Amino acid sequence: MSAVELTKKQQKALDKAMDRGGNFTNPFEKRSKNKWRRSPLYLLTVVMIAPYYWMITSSFKSVKELQEVPPTVYPKNWISGNYYDKNFDPMQFQQDVIQGLFQRYPDIKFGFFRFMYNSVFVNISITILTLFIGSLAAYVVAKHRFRGKRAIYLTIIGSMMIPWQVGLIPGFLLVDDFGWLNTYWAYIIPALPKAFIVFFLVQYLSSIPDELIEAARIDGAREFTIYWRIVLPLLKPALVAMMIFTAIGEWNNFLWPLIIVQTQDMANLPVALAFLRNTGAGNIGSQGVIMAASLITSIPTILLFFLTQKHFIRGIALSGLK
Amino acid sequence: MSSPMFADSKKYAPSKRTGFRKFSEAGLSTYLMLSPFALLFIVFAVYPVLASLRLSFMRYNAICNPDQSPCGSVGFGNYQYLIMDDSRFHKALLNTTLYVIGSVIMGMIASLTLALVLQEDTRSNRVLRVIFFLPSVTSGIAIVLVWGWVFRGDDIGLLNALFNFVGLPTVEWLATPSLAIPILIFMAMWGGAGFGMVLFLAGLNSIPAMYYEAAVIDGAGPRERFRYITLPLLRPVMVYVGITGTIGAFQIFEGVYLLFPTSVGSIGGFKDMALMIVPYLYDMGFNKFRLGYASAIAWILFGIIFAISMINLKLTRSLEDLR
Repeated sequence: MSAVELTKKQQKALDKAMDRGGNFTNPFEKRSKNKWRRSPLYLLTVVMIAPYYWMITSSFKSVKELQEVPPTVYPKNWISGNYYDKNFDPMQFQQDVIQGLFQRYPDIKFGFFRFMYNSVFVNISITILTLFIGSLAAYVVAKHRFRGKRAIYLTIIGSMMIPWQVGLIPGFLLVDDFGWLNTYWAYIIPALPKAFIVFFLVQYLSSIPDELIEAARIDGAREFTIYWRIVLPLLKPALVAMMIFTAIGEWNNFLWPLIIVQTQDMANLPVALAFLRNTGAGNIGSQGVIMAASLITSIPTILLFFLTQKHFIRGIALSGLK
Repeated sequence: MSSPMFADSKKYAPSKRTGFRKFSEAGLSTYLMLSPFALLFIVFAVYPVLASLRLSFMRYNAICNPDQSPCGSVGFGNYQYLIMDDSRFHKALLNTTLYVIGSVIMGMIASLTLALVLQEDTRSNRVLRVIFFLPSVTSGIAIVLVWGWVFRGDDIGLLNALFNFVGLPTVEWLATPSLAIPILIFMAMWGGAGFGMVLFLAGLNSIPAMYYEAAVIDGAGPRERFRYITLPLLRPVMVYVGITGTIGAFQIFEGVYLLFPTSVGSIGGFKDMALMIVPYLYDMGFNKFRLGYASAIAWILFGIIFAISMINLKLTRSLEDLR
């Protein structure tokens, strides 16, 4: 830059642009003097937050307040009756008292906690196992030479082009044939082979030099030891990103669980939520309980996102820009 | 790579014999390590797709009783009926197409605008980015249930409360056919704009600053810089966001399933106003147990997605050749 003589006008334009923090791309930058320029953005932000705000506040409103027209924006009293109401008595009809979320499902052991357990157990199992078998396969595909490797890798990549609903019905029949309907097996096993994870990890591994692995091989290390001691630590950033993706995706999974669940006690949180909605659909008084369940379903993934934000965003950028 | 540690191993690496040795040495462990994924992949990913293709040419239900509900080959019968005669499927195709076009185009515009507006790395922008991204990690069902309340047809519905507040009449949001697709598009934008924004932000940050510096020196204004630098260099991200967005949009299910149920065992709302491909597939497969017919729907879905991906790829390639 210093080698070029800039005219005064050019220098001025450059300085002016630099004053805005070097942000040269924004086509709206001309209007930056106006302090109201971002007000539409803040209006949009309100639209973004409103559903969350409504979910939280409504879950703490009383049945009476929920029925008010127009609805109250801020709860008059924060009550926890939608979660657990001490005054609730199943033996008699009570006005303005509702069966709290954790008092429902008397036939299911642990009530609503059972759905939370189902979701957590299934999620952890899938995430660990899918990453384990996926990274094993990715290591072999990226760093071994063997017959049929190209065909296998192409099949894995090709399968990502097919929408997963194509295999939905035979998958259901298969799980039925195995006698797995309404069990954790049906949740976990079919969810394990994830083509995208292998694809992503192979891409990531191909940027790691072979020398490291070859050196270990020459030193006489066994293949699994190489995988465990060398490849896994190298893969860590990619595995973290995939872990977050898998965990959040599986937590919010709905259509497959909806099909394989036959008794309510095997539902995961999204399916339990849909069942809950279907039983009390029109009744405005039960909306508080539904919002309470929605909140409980939403919190874990949001929390995971906040805890792992950096890895998460980097993972999206990585997988999108390959 | 040039460190002395690896100097020795280089001696072994390039010869053909080492290549063979590597193959035979790693042989058993190779297949052992590959087999867990490969077996599960064959059973739960490859087989279902092939079986679904076979089913799509059959009349098939869960019972297969030769007297009452026989199963058997129907050739192209399922496809023929779907394409020629099934008016509910035509409605589902039309609805899905409108929804995909609307949500992808408007979603792209929204994502790119958000990325441009929130590009500068200030503290408030970082907070706003997180807020716009939150729906991408929130349970779709939980959010749909809130939308269900927002769009309630009575006075307790939030949007109606707002309408009444400013003196507008109550609207039956979810029972008005012309509003069904726009509402679903709005929900898709609310839920998906933040994800696209992150991808566009990554794309924007990878554009070297010197291009803009050079453009400023040459006297290009903000609009020219956007038109001649930002847009062309963002094309790969746009293609990616466009293809993944289209594929995702074709698979819409939850919003239709929860917001527009007509009755038990049916789906899609009043006069099928919100009927889409995957909800129709679900209805045929798991409410009516016409599993062969549902498989044919799944393959048509695949055909559409495949064709769009191919056209998109070809189009961007030929655009690149032109330059």
